[in-house]
Parts: sequence; C-alpha cells; structure tokens
Amino acid sequence: MTTLESQLTAYIAHRMPEARDIQVRDLERIFGGASRETYRFLLCYRAGDGAVERPLILRRDPPGSLIETDRAVEFGAYRAFHGTGVPVPEPLWLEEEARWLDHPFFVMEQITGMESGPSQIVAPPYDQYAEKLAQQKWSILGEIHRADPTALGLDSVMQRVAPEECWKRELSHWERTIDEDELCPQPVIRAAIRWLRRRPPQPPGRVGVVHGDYRTGNFLVDADGDIRAILDWEMAHLGDPLEDLAWSLNPVWRWAHDERAGGLAPRAEAIRIWEQASGLRADPQALAWWEVFSSVKGQAIWISGAKEFTDGVNQDMILVAASWLMGNSQDRAALHSLGHLP
Amino acid sequence: MKPDPTRFLAVAAGHLLTHTVGALGPGYEQSSVSVMGLVLTSVAEEFERAAERRVAENRELRRIFAAAEEVVASGALREKLACAARGDDTSLSVSELERGNAELRSLLIELHAHVEELDSEQSRKIEQEIWRELVASTERRRLAIGPF
Repeated sequence: MTTLESQLTAYIAHRMPEARDIQVRDLERIFGGASRETYRFLLCYRAGDGAVERPLILRRDPPGSLIETDRAVEFGAYRAFHGTGVPVPEPLWLEEEARWLDHPFFVMEQITGMESGPSQIVAPPYDQYAEKLAQQKWSILGEIHRADPTALGLDSVMQRVAPEECWKRELSHWERTIDEDELCPQPVIRAAIRWLRRRPPQPPGRVGVVHGDYRTGNFLVDADGDIRAILDWEMAHLGDPLEDLAWSLNPVWRWAHDERAGGLAPRAEAIRIWEQASGLRADPQALAWWEVFSSVKGQAIWISGAKEFTDGVNQDMILVAASWLMGNSQDRAALHSLGHLP
Repeated sequence: MKPDPTRFLAVAAGHLLTHTVGALGPGYEQSSVSVMGLVLTSVAEEFERAAERRVAENRELRRIFAAAEEVVASGALREKLACAARGDDTSLSVSELERGNAELRSLLIELHAHVEELDSEQSRKIEQEIWRELVASTERRRLAIGPF
C-alpha cells in the first residue's frame, strides 16, 4: 500500500466511522488535472451485512498549478448542481486541513466508462454524435446560466459581484496574474487588454453562475454520445454568463481543426442553442468583448503554468505543452478576435 | 553536430510516441510520456529556427522604432526608440538574442500604447505597422501541432 493509499484509508475511516474493513484500491493518478492532482481509486468497505465497492475521485491541491483556485468553490459548485439538470458527479467530502493528505483536497464520485479527451470526442466513433453533443453542451451551459446562485447557496461560497463590475473584476484579476507571472513581454495580450479597457461591455441583465472553464474536454461523454457530467469547476464564480459562452467559442478549442466551436458546431449554432436554453440574448458587441477577454484569460493561465514549471514548483509535462502549444495559439486567437487575423 | 540535433529530436520523439508509450500501461506515466514526445517535436521545430526568427524580429522591431521616432510625442520615449533603433545583435547565441528580443518587445508595448493615444495620420500608420508585426511575430512562433 502506498503512503497516499494509507493516508486516504485513514481519512475515510475518520469520515465513515460506521464502515468496516475499509480499503483504498487501485489508486492511480489521472493525467491533465491542471489545477489539482486528480486520482481515481476504488473504495471497498463493509457496511451492515454487505460489502460495498465504490469508484471515487480524489482532487488534491498540488504544490503549484496552472491556476490557483479555491477548492471550496469547486466543491460548492458540485454540491449545488448535483441532482439538478446540470449533470455533475456527487461530491462527498471537502477537507481543508493539510494534515490528512499533506495538502487540502476533496473526494467525489467517479463516473466510470466515459470519454473526456477532446481529441477522442471529435474522432470516430464519437464524431457521429457531434450535433447531439453540441445540443447538449450548450443546453447544459444555458441551464447553468438559468440557475439562481442564491437558491443554490452559491452566493455563500462565491464572491458576489454587481452586474457592472463583472468585466472589471475578471479583467483585473487575469491582468494581475500576467503582471505577476509573465516570463517575457506579451505585446499581443497587452494590446488586447488595452482594447478591452477602452470598450467596456454592456453589463449582463443578471449575474449568474459562471463555470469558468466550459469547453470540450471538461465533460464526460458515454458510448451513446450523451454528456453524463460537467467537470472542472475550479474557476467557477459569479459573473456575466457571456464569459462562459465566449470561452466555449474560443478558437483554441477547435479540436476538429475546422471552424466548429469546440470541434462540435458552427459558432452561430452554438449561440442559438445557448440562447434558447438560457433564455438570455448574446449581445454581439458584449460577446465580442468577452471573446477577446477569453484569450487574455487563456494566456494568463498558460503564462502561470510556464512560471510554475520554470520555478520548479510543478514539473508536470502538461505545463510545458500548454505554455508552448496553447500560448502561441492563444495569441493567434486574440489577433483573430481583434480582427487582425482571419 | 552530426546527426543533426533536429534529426535526433525527431527520432527521440518518435521512439517515445511509439515504443515507450506502447510499453507503458494506460495511465499518468503513459500520458506524460506522450506529451513529452509531442513537446520534443516542437523543440525540434524551434531549434532549427531559434536564431533566425529572433534576428529577423529584432531587425523588424528596430526598423519600426526608427520610423516611429518622429511620430512620438514623449521626449523620453523618443530617446529610447532612437537608442533601440541604433542597436544591433552583437551575439547570435539564442539566450542573448532572446534577452535583446524581450527588451525590444517591452519597448514595442510602450510604443503601441503611446501611439494609440495619438491622433494623427502618421501615428495610425505606425499603429498599423505594429499590428502587422504582432501578426508576423505570432506566425514566426507558430508550432505545427498548435491547436489554432
């Protein structure tokens, strides 16, 4: 048994005092968790007269990551949406103390037998479901934006924001990240930031829950091409719903290497589905603002990862790949949104 | 160096992506090695052009600064532009070229922000030149396996 397995076993025994013969089996790290170390494992125990086996996910804070986020917000989002029309895994335990697994973490249900890799989802056999996936992807996003954050209890874990402050707060946050972490000058993104400050968007009609990283690759798809869970809520916050729509349309997520948003649907179709599901209108000018913003945010994330790797805080290969491959594409996307590149 | 480093990197990447990945079971290590292989193909691409693209870019930035000298309103910025425009790449080591490139690109940001605030035909021309260079610089850095 590895150290982490035994630590996790001790923690679960503490959380489930009624369970007997607790075992953590097949603990395995999953690649690509940019903000947290993600592990899958099988929890086995006896309760009453029966034996129980339950596949679970552990999300543990790493020493460094692409983005610094509050695990309570991510856990809170899973808790708020579990059992609603927005499919998410069941969250089980949030642990803020580092004494159990050396870093804070949370545990949630593992939904098994699914595909999430964007390159796989846009390739056979899943490509036959592209239209259905697009319909579900942007309908679910509409459902998220229809949700009332107060009714879901999310205004207690997410910072409140006035409609007219949404853009300022987000832009200032990500500009500050670039200021702190950039390893070389970023003339394209600096020009984009000035452009954004000169042309503030119309405030949203209402503040909603923003997933923060809503894209192909952050949901689980079953063998029939249905979305079974929306994942990676680590950047969730209250804000302008157009932020999520714009992020989902960013050209860096064109995984099928054609013009389809997220490798699934033409941009206009994605917007139509979202408008229908959310009951909101995507004002073209405001959406254009958030699309430029999405490249600033994206570049800030890649820059942060490069800094973590260079400083030796986290030497995961994904940070280098993200910085080199996504960084250049993100500049291209910014130039595209600003009308300087086709 | 023979075999060429680019050739070696391509072979090493190919070995990782076919043999090593195949030998590892599905999981974190396999994905990590896959990404390592992909990153090596980009290293090979960058190795070949590293000096050339920086020299070309530094030359282009100095040309823009020389053209902008007469347009800028600020004396201090004009002086910086003149000084940078007169500069040259004295070393062709990639780290030195990169250091010089970073200084020039910082100045480009300052110039860009400055001319955006000016209201003249000449400043618009410089602004257009800067945008052209930003597109060109992004193309120079483009990697074959980039998503967009």
